[in-house]
Parts: sequence; structure tokens; C-alpha cells
Amino acid sequence: MGDYFTLVIACIFVNNILLIQYLGNCPFLGTSKRMETAVGMAMGVVFVLVMAGAATWIVWTFILKPFGLEFLRTLAFILLIATLVQFVEMFLKKNVPTLYSALGIYLPLITTNCAVLGVCFINIDNEYTFMQTLVSSFAYPVGFGLALILLAGVRERILLARVPKPLQDTSIGLITAGMMSLAFFGFKGMV
Amino acid sequence: MLGGLLVMGGLGALCGVGLALASKIFYVYVDPKHEAVTDALPGANCGGCGFAGCAANAAAMVAGKSSPSSCVAGGPDVAAEVARILGVSVEAREPYFAHPGCRYGIHEADLKYLYSGIADCRAAMILGGGAKVCPIGCLGLGTCVRACPFGALSMGTDNLPVVDTERCTGCGTCERVCPKHIITLTSTSERMIGEYVTDECTAPCQRSCPTGINIPAFIREIRNNNYEAALAIIKEKCPLPLICGYICPAPCELACRRNLVDEAVAINPLKRFVADHEMRTGKHLTPFKAPGSEQKIAVVGGGAEGLTLSYYLARLSYQPTIFEAKPQLGGILRYVIAEDRLPRKVLDHEIAGILEVGVEARTNVIMGRDVDLMSLFEEGFDAVVLSKGGFDSRQILQPNPSGYDASVPGVFTMLDFIHLLNEEKKMDPVRRAVVVHSGLEGLQLARRCIAAGTQKVTIVSNLPFPELPVELQDSKKLAAEGIMVRPSNVVIGLKGISKRLVRVSVEETDPEGGFFGEQETIRTDTLILPAGRLPEFVFVRTQQAEDLEPGEIAWETIETFRTFPGRNDGICTPPEPGRISDSSAVVKSLLSGRRLTRAIHRYFSGGTIPPLDHLVCEADTVLDVAEVHDVGPSERERPAILDVAGDSKRAWIFPSEYPGLDEASARREAERCLACGLICYRKQK
Repeated sequence: MGDYFTLVIACIFVNNILLIQYLGNCPFLGTSKRMETAVGMAMGVVFVLVMAGAATWIVWTFILKPFGLEFLRTLAFILLIATLVQFVEMFLKKNVPTLYSALGIYLPLITTNCAVLGVCFINIDNEYTFMQTLVSSFAYPVGFGLALILLAGVRERILLARVPKPLQDTSIGLITAGMMSLAFFGFKGMV
Repeated sequence: MLGGLLVMGGLGALCGVGLALASKIFYVYVDPKHEAVTDALPGANCGGCGFAGCAANAAAMVAGKSSPSSCVAGGPDVAAEVARILGVSVEAREPYFAHPGCRYGIHEADLKYLYSGIADCRAAMILGGGAKVCPIGCLGLGTCVRACPFGALSMGTDNLPVVDTERCTGCGTCERVCPKHIITLTSTSERMIGEYVTDECTAPCQRSCPTGINIPAFIREIRNNNYEAALAIIKEKCPLPLICGYICPAPCELACRRNLVDEAVAINPLKRFVADHEMRTGKHLTPFKAPGSEQKIAVVGGGAEGLTLSYYLARLSYQPTIFEAKPQLGGILRYVIAEDRLPRKVLDHEIAGILEVGVEARTNVIMGRDVDLMSLFEEGFDAVVLSKGGFDSRQILQPNPSGYDASVPGVFTMLDFIHLLNEEKKMDPVRRAVVVHSGLEGLQLARRCIAAGTQKVTIVSNLPFPELPVELQDSKKLAAEGIMVRPSNVVIGLKGISKRLVRVSVEETDPEGGFFGEQETIRTDTLILPAGRLPEFVFVRTQQAEDLEPGEIAWETIETFRTFPGRNDGICTPPEPGRISDSSAVVKSLLSGRRLTRAIHRYFSGGTIPPLDHLVCEADTVLDVAEVHDVGPSERERPAILDVAGDSKRAWIFPSEYPGLDEASARREAERCLACGLICYRKQK
């Protein structure tokens, strides 16, 4: 149990996918302008990653590894994630329309998100068991959401501040993200 | 190599087949109209329709949950295009415009500090709620101007936003960005049925006017030499300006801030001046009529309240018909008020103006004798409104052959009922009765009913149990007699079938306020009210009702007025029923007429009356000033009386002969107005 706790802390803070590993920075800046979109994106990533983590682990363990086809993993995982997202989208649209409309545009956006693919690779590289994979696939996107929502909060305040013209919008967003990343480096060595 | 190809090919094929199957299994039909409608909409995503963007509204339009004309930004062209795609007809829609609610810019108003930060109202708001002393004052930094997606707003020289009504689409973006909620959307019908609340800018005169005429606004129009606009502003709240100009007690003038310097502005004479101006032209001002409603409403009673109600219903494009017991319309105005005070030609002029708007009238018709609820519903009226006026008028204006007011089946005033019992008049047997009373008289009446054969009497009292007389607290003994007492309850409505009363709705009250109590209905066939007259009722037809036999009509009353959340006085609060308004002056009846219009309009446009927080006329404190500075004295204008000898200001003449202000003095008088806001007023530079 303690291991899982450590894993969760490590995934959310110490190895934060956005601020330490620098994966998925495109939605980090793209969807952090408003709190609502940030929350929507965070929810979407958690949802997709838990499913993608499990699916890629199964394909890796039972297909790619036994046949010695490790070099195909990028190709196979992209295919898998894209299919999964499409499938989930169809399923939600039919059966859980409320969740579908809540996630909205963010669900298909995640198809091509490197944070999702990255977490799947991390799971494989660290040779996690299936349970560990599930936990890390949940905890990493929680860390993603945390960083995203924090940045969205900061950026909403920045809107009211006087920012020099050349630094407005994305520039100041990047600077802020960089400083947040520095702050997160404080967690290094905790686990 | 081959293995790799096989695995990837296999995975790919599996995924492809899986997705293909999924798309069949999880197929959701998407209406092609949806896309067409989305394309037709402007795509500004202003949110003026109340949906999250154009696509969401398009979906609602296709689903029939939103009207094709709901796109405020697109206007009639887009509405026509959408209606063409959907194959429906488009109904006309009343335009809404942005209305800046503050009248004194940052350079004229009292300030707490000088602000020199970011030029954005939202940022300025963070610093102690803005620089102005007035909590609802415009900060003048132009957030709304920059937010307007249609370029309809600009900043005026006085640092207040100016609306270009040509460009304003009523999308409400400005309303949403304004951190102080000062700029709001408004329409003529909103103003007609609206009430003032404490967090909007109102002048003292405006607040004390029982019917709420926007006095500074109409006086400003007189200053601008625009008498018709002035009259239109008055008629948004008062359909009888000339009559009020003659006989209104003018509480507005008592509240006028000029009293702190010299003498009140002659508000009532100014109102009479613009109304006289209309009468001199011989034509009635054609008022704006909001499209959208077409229900037929029967208005019982053609006095000041009934006329007001019908006028505003007609302006909201309902089809009102007045039923008047007397041979002519006017009620107290015609049959009670002396002709010396109110010339009948003035009355006729005003009534003709109301009828012109689209009001039908049938005279010599008595509710309970010639027509009743059943016959009116059968004739096709969607609602029947009882607006029979003040209690002092009952015997004068409503001759009733039965000796009591028989307009509502099973509902009696207490005096009428006792009278019927005493005279042993023939009446339907009372099986169950509800008596609204908190005292021993109610108990006595309940016992008389029981003695006369009533099975069960319920006494409803608004007092809490400990405050009831001790006789009413002995519930065991009373229950043995067949009497039940309901403390802390008020009657809020009636339900009936055809010509009989079936149920009375009661609601628990909380004397402290704070919550809405439980609602219940009591089965009864008789309701006895402790009042001098029947309250205002609005009857509508209902669909479901128990034991409804073929050919019968189920009806109920709708709620007519509710003030603070948690405080509800029901339909019969002493001394006058209704709480809508007392009828102590014509102008108060106008208010109750407007409030009834509001209740009816809310009912037919699919909502209930929201309880109004901070209603100005009920509020204890409104931001105000106790002294004025920088205002020089000036003398109040009086009409020149030519044919009376001696000092014109002291001579006694009949009020009806009292001439109105002439144009020159009206203009001078209008200049005396301080154009007050909550704490601002016009200062001499």
C-alpha cells in the first residue's frame, strides 16, 4: 500500500508530467487561458489516460513483448490510443451524453496528446505491474490537471495586470509556466 | 520483419473493424438541420440567447427548445433564415437594449479616492469596490465598451457609456462583464411590469411614487422639449397621467430633495402639463406594444385597477375584456369622486385612450349574476381577473341581488357570511369550511357553522401557536367539536371545479422570514375571509383535478404577489386583502393593476413570479442623502390664474378649474429638478 502512495506522490508532484517531464505542453498553454477549459481538459486527460494506460500495458505485455516486437511500440500505441479515444467518444455520445457534453472538444484533442503517449511509455519503461500501471495512469493526469488548473488561475489574474506588450499572452504564459516548473523542482529528491 | 507487419496489420485491422462496429452500435442520429442552422447564425458566440455559444443554441433551435428568433445578435434576418431551414414560422420579438443605470460620471459623483490604476472596471472593482461612494456607481473605465461585440457602446464625455440603439442587439455581453451590474438589458415590457429594487439607481421621488413613475427621466424629456417622450415614460408606469395630474396626492413631492433647499419641484403639475399637451392635440399617444402573447383575459371591474390592468395587458398584446357592473367605465373615478375635482371630460379622454390600445369593454355586466367563472372560461377566456377595487366601493359600485358578493363560488367575506346566517338566507349547505381569523370571532363563527350542520371547520391563522387566544390553543377540545386550528399559516390560493370551491391552498409562514414554508391544500367548499372585500384573484384553467366530471372545468388561482423570500402574507392580510396594494389612492390602485399584469404575464410566459429581494417600497433603508450642497434656491412655478381677482396664489378656485402650467413655466419648473440618483444630484457649478 505504501508503495502505491509513494507512486502517487511521485507521479503528481515529483515527476509532474507537465512541469518536470515537459510532456503535453501544447494543451498546457492552449487550454489554460480560462479556468473552465482547464478543468474540462484535466477531466478529459484523467479519463482517457486510465483507459489508455491499461490498454497499452495489455498490448505490450501480451503481444509486443512475447513476439519481440518492442521496436513497434510507438506505432502500435498511437494506433491504440487513437482508436480508444474514438471509441470512448462514440460510447459516451450514445450512453452518457452528459459526460460527453461536459468533456466536449477536449476528448478528441487528447488523441494526439504526447502526455498520454508519454505516460504509457513511462509505465512500460519502469516495468510496472498492471496495478501499478493503473495507479500511475491515474496519478500522472491528476498531476497534469493540478499544474493546468494552477496555471489557469495565475493566467486569469495576469489578464488584469499590466504586461509589457512584447510579453503579452503566450509569452508571459510560458514564463509563468517556467517559474512554476522551477517551483516544482523543489519536490525533487522527496521520493 | 514479417512478424512485425503481421502484428501491426492485425492490430490495425482489429482497431478498424472495432471502430466500424462501434460506429454502428453507438450510432447517434445528428440532424442535418443542426449544421445548417449553425451556419446561419452569426457565430459571434455572444451568449445573448442564454446558451453557451451559437452551436448550442442551434441544437436547441433544432430540438424546438429555443425560438428561431432567440438569436438577439442576428436580428430578424437570421430569425427568418433559421425559420426557413426549420420550416417554422417566426414570431415577432420585442427588442431589448442595453441601459446604463448610472447617471453621474466619475467627475461629478462623490469619490472615496482617486483611482489611477489599470483602465478596467474589473480591476478597479477589486480596490474597495471602486472609487465612487455610491456602491452602484459606474466606474467609467469602459470595460463594457471594449466587450461589446457589435460596437454599440461608446464612452460619453461624462464618462458614462452611451448606447447606440441602432447597433445594440441586446446580446447582454455588457451586462455580463460589468462588475457592478450597472448596465443591464431592458425592454418596454420589462419596465411596465418591473418593480424597483434597492440596488438600482432611483431618485427619492421615483421611489415614493406608488406606481413608480421614472420622474427624473420624464422631467429631463420636458427639459429637452420632447413632451411625447416624457408622456411615453410616464405611461410605462401610469396609464392615467391626466387623472393623476388632477387628483394624485403626490407623495413624490413630499420626497423631493428640493424640500431640503426650498420647495418641491412641481412634479404633479409637470405630469399634468405633458398629459394636457396630449389632450390638446386630440390624439392619444400610440404606445409601443410588445408582441408575443395572444391570450384572452377577462377583467372583472372597470375601475382604476381594472383599467390599468387591461391597458398593460393590451400593451403586452393580450386581449383583455373589461366586465363592468355599472353602465360606464371608471368605477370610483366616475361614480364617487366629485366632478369638481375630476372633470368627466378628462376621465372620458383617458378611458378612450385605454380602449384604443386594444381593450374591449362590456358594461352592465355583474359577476355572479350575468357571468360567472364557468361561463367566462366557456366563452374562451384563458384567465379571469377579479379586480373589483377598494372595500369602500363595494356597496356603491357592485349592486348584487343576492345581498353578498357572489363572484367567487364558495368565498365569502366574514360580514357577508354572518349576515347570511343571521338572516337565515337560503344558501348552499356548508359541509366543510375554512375560516381565516386569529381571534375569538373566528372561533364563534366556526361554532355557529358546526351548529348549522357543517362537519369540519378549519381556522387558519397567520399567528404562531403561542400567540393565539387561549381558547384556540385547546386543540383536543376543539377537535372533539370538529374544529381544527392551523397556526402560522396563510391562504395562498383556491382550487375549484366549475361552480364549486374544492380546495384552499395554505402555506406555512415564518414570521422572521427566511424560508418558504410547506404548501398544503385543505379540502373545503367554503372559505370565509376577514376582510371588507374580496382580494384580487387571477383564475386560470387547470388540466388535472380529482373527480372531474365531463363538461366540468377545473380552475385555480395563481399567485399574484410575493415580496421577500420567506415572507408571504397570503391573500388576506389585514387591513386589506392581497398585499398587492391598498386602494387608498387612485395611484395605489394603478400599482396593483400593474402587479396583476406582472403575475399574469409571468404565468403565461411560462414562469412564476420570482420573489423580489430588496424591493424598494418595502425596504427599510435605501441609500440617500440628508442634506444637499451647492444648490441655490429658486421659486416653484405656479399656473397663472387670470380670471380670479386678487392674489392668484391665494385665491380659492375649484381644482377642476385650476389651469395647468403653461409651456414656459413648465420648462422653467423642469429646470428646477435636481435629477437625483441615489446620492448624486445636479449641483450648480
